[in-house]
Amino acid sequence: MTDITKDPRVIIFFVAVAAALIILAPIPSESGLHTRLKYGLDLEGGSWLQLKLQGAIVEPQVDPINILTKQFSDATGRDVEVDWRPESTDYQITVDGKASATMAEDLGYAQATVTPRGNATKITIPATPAGVIMNYLETSLDSDVKYLGSDPLSFEIRSNVTRDELEAILAQVGGTLVAGDAGFSEGVTEDTVDETKQVLDRKLNRLGLQDIKVRVVDNKFILIDLAGVSIADAQEIVGKPGVFEIRIQTTGNDSMHVLYGDQIVDVSLPQGDQSGNWGVPFTLSEEGALAFQKAAVDTGATKNRMDHDISMYLDEDEIFSAPLAQDLAASLEVAPMKNMVAQVGGDSQRAHELYIHLREGALPVNVEIIGSGQVTAALGSQFKKQVLIAGIMSILAVGLVIYFRYREPKIVIPMVATSFSEVLMMLALAALLKWQLDLASIAGIIAVIGTGVDHLVIITDELLYEGKMPSGKIYLARLSSAFGIIMAAAATTIVAMLPLFGMGFGAFKSFALITIAGVLIGVLIARPAYGRIIGSIMQPGE
Amino acid sequence: MDPETFISKYEPKKMVAISLAVLAVALLIMGFNYIKTGSPVTLGVEFTGGTIITVPVVESEDELAAKLAAYPVLDIRDVGHRYMVQLGPMDDAEYKQLSELVDDEYQDPEIKYMGPVYSTRLQEQAKTYIPLSFLFMAVVVFLIFRTPFVALTIILSAFSDIMITAAAMDTVGVKLSLGTVAALLMLIGYSVDSNILLNNRVLKRKGKTEEKIQGAFRTGFAMTSTTFCAIFALFLVSAFSYLVSSSFTQINILFDISVVLLFGLLADLMNTWVMNANALRWYLASSKKATSRRQKR
Repeated sequence: MTDITKDPRVIIFFVAVAAALIILAPIPSESGLHTRLKYGLDLEGGSWLQLKLQGAIVEPQVDPINILTKQFSDATGRDVEVDWRPESTDYQITVDGKASATMAEDLGYAQATVTPRGNATKITIPATPAGVIMNYLETSLDSDVKYLGSDPLSFEIRSNVTRDELEAILAQVGGTLVAGDAGFSEGVTEDTVDETKQVLDRKLNRLGLQDIKVRVVDNKFILIDLAGVSIADAQEIVGKPGVFEIRIQTTGNDSMHVLYGDQIVDVSLPQGDQSGNWGVPFTLSEEGALAFQKAAVDTGATKNRMDHDISMYLDEDEIFSAPLAQDLAASLEVAPMKNMVAQVGGDSQRAHELYIHLREGALPVNVEIIGSGQVTAALGSQFKKQVLIAGIMSILAVGLVIYFRYREPKIVIPMVATSFSEVLMMLALAALLKWQLDLASIAGIIAVIGTGVDHLVIITDELLYEGKMPSGKIYLARLSSAFGIIMAAAATTIVAMLPLFGMGFGAFKSFALITIAGVLIGVLIARPAYGRIIGSIMQPGE
Repeated sequence: MDPETFISKYEPKKMVAISLAVLAVALLIMGFNYIKTGSPVTLGVEFTGGTIITVPVVESEDELAAKLAAYPVLDIRDVGHRYMVQLGPMDDAEYKQLSELVDDEYQDPEIKYMGPVYSTRLQEQAKTYIPLSFLFMAVVVFLIFRTPFVALTIILSAFSDIMITAAAMDTVGVKLSLGTVAALLMLIGYSVDSNILLNNRVLKRKGKTEEKIQGAFRTGFAMTSTTFCAIFALFLVSAFSYLVSSSFTQINILFDISVVLLFGLLADLMNTWVMNANALRWYLASSKKATSRRQKR
């Protein structure tokens, strides 16, 4: 037999083990020694949240004329007539008798013109058919609705709504949903998911939390891992990202909607002036500034600012309320203003909270917590100790069984050493690819120790079939027969594990990864070398 | 009796029948469980939805129950220096209150909440993925062993492994969790190991079938026992290490995985060496008869 130190399989094996040892060697850092291994939340401590984005993509089939007819006849209690005028892209509504000037506004149609014509009133609202349907959906669902496209006419509803609810609402105006999944599918568009993810990312990053992973699954689930944060805090931070709204006081306790958080394009850090008054400067979009000006003028806030407080709401909780500043009120009288400051007085803490609310109020959809949990760091490190013990005990147990089977140190030592080297290589690969080791993946490693040794037993027994190590051609034939069995077994294990990648939001991805990696490392690196080494050791002297 | 002679001593048909009878009993147990709980394997909290908290033992179970009286507690168990509390459905506010209470009152609490959306999704996935995994394995087995009889016995044995393990889970009260599903999938891969060894040895080598089976059994038994011991170590640590140190506790997920793998390995021992080995003897004997009959003509 040739010198095994020149065998490429053996060389590759030793190089791989050496590389594994280098990768796993502890590196000194400020907080003592640490390895490159990354641990999952259940070993490191932290919490996780699984959120579902509430929403649906729908394709309604409804005549906007019916909608307007219903809305205006409900509002007036009289018969109305509605005409669509495509050439000027507006609807003309004729109501018997007088109609209030703000009726169209109240129903959500902006820039309406109201003209009395004898016994009737003509209301002209500049709107497209899609705009009317969207407005109807928004008001009857009390939810944000995003227009997606005209062919086919589709909308994204940004709240929790069922097909039945929506169909009931459309039935009131003689409409329906397109049949099948096209008409109603739960979930939101990719853009909306991205937007939501970005808002969450920014929010978490700003809090200075490290090691945060925000992942999106199936376009409607967002998974957040927060190392070192308790679940109560995590929920506080992300569980209920709210919908931000600015309202303006109309009369008494009533108020009207001005704009949502999506019209706030920029928020600056809170600033304090010399007298210790804190404020949060923010910038409105063009559309937002127009809406704000219109609301301020319409309610009379520009003239009588003290009676018309501006309030900010996060999830319908009031977070800020104050009258317009005098100079702002004066400016709004003549032009829309984009730049504003929300003054909170002497409380810098409150200014900071408002700052976060203002920035993050723009979370586009509501979310539902569908799963969450926490493991504290101390408990995690207990688990770490326990799994380390389990790993060591497994290798010892395996060594003992092998000893009883072969009673030959020349076999037992290389076998246990090979098995141990497989564990080292698996861990090194995990460290290199930054896989997180969690409890499940440790179970995977231990299971691979078990199967790995199985395969070493197959190799050994094939080679020693007649009680002694054959040489030359017979040795090679036996070795390839052993590898036939091993490869077949490895292939079945790998394919059987594949489905685990998708299960439970990838909770067992690490288990599947480490098991498959372990099987491959064993089959491709460790076991070929073992076959050569054991062949050489057991060879009767030539 | 020596197990090596046991597997090839009796009439093959009888031995295969015994193994199939065990499979039938397993299916019956799962059938009963289905009638009782609506699922062939009792579903754990990940599949039913709910909340699990574990807290260190600092008081009696009754005191803990009193503290949590305002919440829908379903079950409190001592899992070794810690109590594991299972709770029914709660709304967001209640859950938040509970997590704050637990965080304030106890050191190192563990909390896990699985909402109905999550658990329904998981149930659907399990229904798709476990059969899918099995199908993948079957395809690979067919590709390796082109002989339908051989491939089918291997697949039947893997199927029987899973069913017997599932029935054993029902019997000892291990519920279906993500961990046990992972273990079952791993078992699908595992279970063909020893079968492939057996078939390779018996079909590709020359010699007497009985002797080849016995040789394969010696190797196969060593394989199963090493794996068994490795997993048994995991089982011991996850279930009993709390007896050694007061800071240790049971680790459910590892306990679940190890118990399933242990049952699976035992089932596989029977299905490979009692059922398949004898099915092979039977198959080889009848095909030999067929060839010799043909030769006589």
